[in-house]
Amino acid sequence: MKQENKQTISGRDFEKYFQVKNLKKALEIKAKYEDQILLIAGATDVLVENYEKLHEIKNWLDLSRVKELKFLEVKEDKLILGPLMTHYELKNSQRLKQKLPLLAKAAAAVGSPQIRAKGTIGGNICTSSPAGDTLSALLALDASFKLQSKIDSRLVKAEDFFLAPKRNGLKDNELLTQIEIPLYPEESLSFWAKIGRRKALVISTLNLALVLYFEQGLIKRAGVAVGSAAPTPIRLREVEELMLGKSLAELNYRELGEEVKKRVSPIDDIRGTKEYRENVVRDTMVNALKSIEKRREGGKNAD
Amino acid sequence: MAKLDVEITVNSKKYNLKVGSQERLLDTIRKELKLTGTKEGCSVGECGACTVIVDDKAVNSCMILTAQVDGSEIITVEGLESKKGLSPLQKAFVEKQAIQCGFCTPGMLMSALALLKNNPRPNKEKIKTALEGNLCRCTGYQQIIEAVETAAKEWGV
Ligand SMILES: Cc1cc2nc3c(=O)[nH]c(=O)nc-3n(C[C@H](O)[C@H](O)[C@H](O)COP(=O)(O)OP(=O)(O)OC[C@H]3O[C@@H](n4cnc5c(N)ncnc54)[C@H](O)[C@@H]3O)c2cc1C
Ligand code: FES
Ligand code: FES
Repeated sequence: MKQENKQTISGRDFEKYFQVKNLKKALEIKAKYEDQILLIAGATDVLVENYEKLHEIKNWLDLSRVKELKFLEVKEDKLILGPLMTHYELKNSQRLKQKLPLLAKAAAAVGSPQIRAKGTIGGNICTSSPAGDTLSALLALDASFKLQSKIDSRLVKAEDFFLAPKRNGLKDNELLTQIEIPLYPEESLSFWAKIGRRKALVISTLNLALVLYFEQGLIKRAGVAVGSAAPTPIRLREVEELMLGKSLAELNYRELGEEVKKRVSPIDDIRGTKEYRENVVRDTMVNALKSIEKRREGGKNAD
Repeated sequence: MAKLDVEITVNSKKYNLKVGSQERLLDTIRKELKLTGTKEGCSVGECGACTVIVDDKAVNSCMILTAQVDGSEIITVEGLESKKGLSPLQKAFVEKQAIQCGFCTPGMLMSALALLKNNPRPNKEKIKTALEGNLCRCTGYQQIIEAVETAAKEWGV
């Protein structure tokens, strides 16, 4: 019975609950406990994942008070984010909207106001769901993640980080401490869309991120990534390459849509069949290109 | 075994509590503080029935550990009514018949309150977005949106 289940959520006691205030301390605890401690930021994924099993968790590391992990800054040619930035903060950041509207848009699509108020980008990355809304944006934008342990740190490209559904390259003694996104001087236009059943609170049946950087009318760089269309969110480098050096007018949108479709391996599930997803992927790519074309003509950046 | 000391302010009243690490804010509010206006529907962040305001933002109290909100300022649906009676927001819900079974209402009120505190003159789109995380099985939302619009007109009076 439901009531009985709920008793197990509250009421039992914990062994260790660490609410640390600085990163150094967090890294020390992680070094000591490794996988014997459950790390939480906004806890929105963790509390669902562990629903009715919360009492089984012995050790908690609550990162949410580590102020040095909550920031957004522009440094030289990079935008740098702390993993504790919430989707609410990203969605409302004027700076982000100006520099990387693609990511602001993806953050705005997460869950509901309640979820965006708590959920963090670091949590979205580390949960590594194939459907994670910010992940396609991060892949298309060529983001890298700084993974830090008590003794050292390494920078891993987003496209090398996601390994399988809900599996990533984080080691047991590491934390994600920084997200770095390159800022290029060229004019850029981007598109992000999530295809789902209703507006809020949907897990994507598909999401697609596209960013194009133009120099004298030609595409100098491109980023294409899709979520929910394979076991991990994926970046499609080969499709990007097909666009380089060309103007928008020289692109065949339908063909590019087919190229995207060829490279995805969606699954059948209650949110959509494989065939449905493949066709939606193709059509979304076509729409993305059309949307960018329209804005390039109209000279405005938002869609 | 030790419990955690947590101090929270709920509806302007300070509480010093001892909580287990796995206690959700929803449990604390309903079981410890006996403020049962806040409802539990889905328990996993999807229905919004458990919505409360923590430090000026609407959040799902089923998705937060009480230990995480130490030092926070919390408002529950019980915080709306004053000696003068129902708040304008509550009155608008009654007036516009935005309540049927009422299970979603406390959460709706909290999401609407968080919006109005932030943006006293929201347009319809903003109201819809603010209520996106709250499900209602009875009213069809139209009356609820109208109630918030009505309340917004009187807000700050
Ligand atoms: C109702 C509901 C709707 C949702 N809708 C969406 C949606 O539309 N789109 C979407 O993408 N997601 C959605 N989510 C999932 C979730 O809210 C997001 O993934 C969110 O960004 C998770 O962030 P968090 O801070 O709450 O993560 P937490 O739950 O705190 O952590 C998630 C995981 O990441 C690890 N972690 C967190 N931070 C770090 C770090 N700095 N270093 C190392 N590991 C870390 C944790 O240990 C844990 O394994 C939804 C969730 C719910 C409950
Ligand atoms: S009970 Fe918390 S969102 Fe449904
Ligand atoms: S009034 Fe019944 S769920 Fe909203």
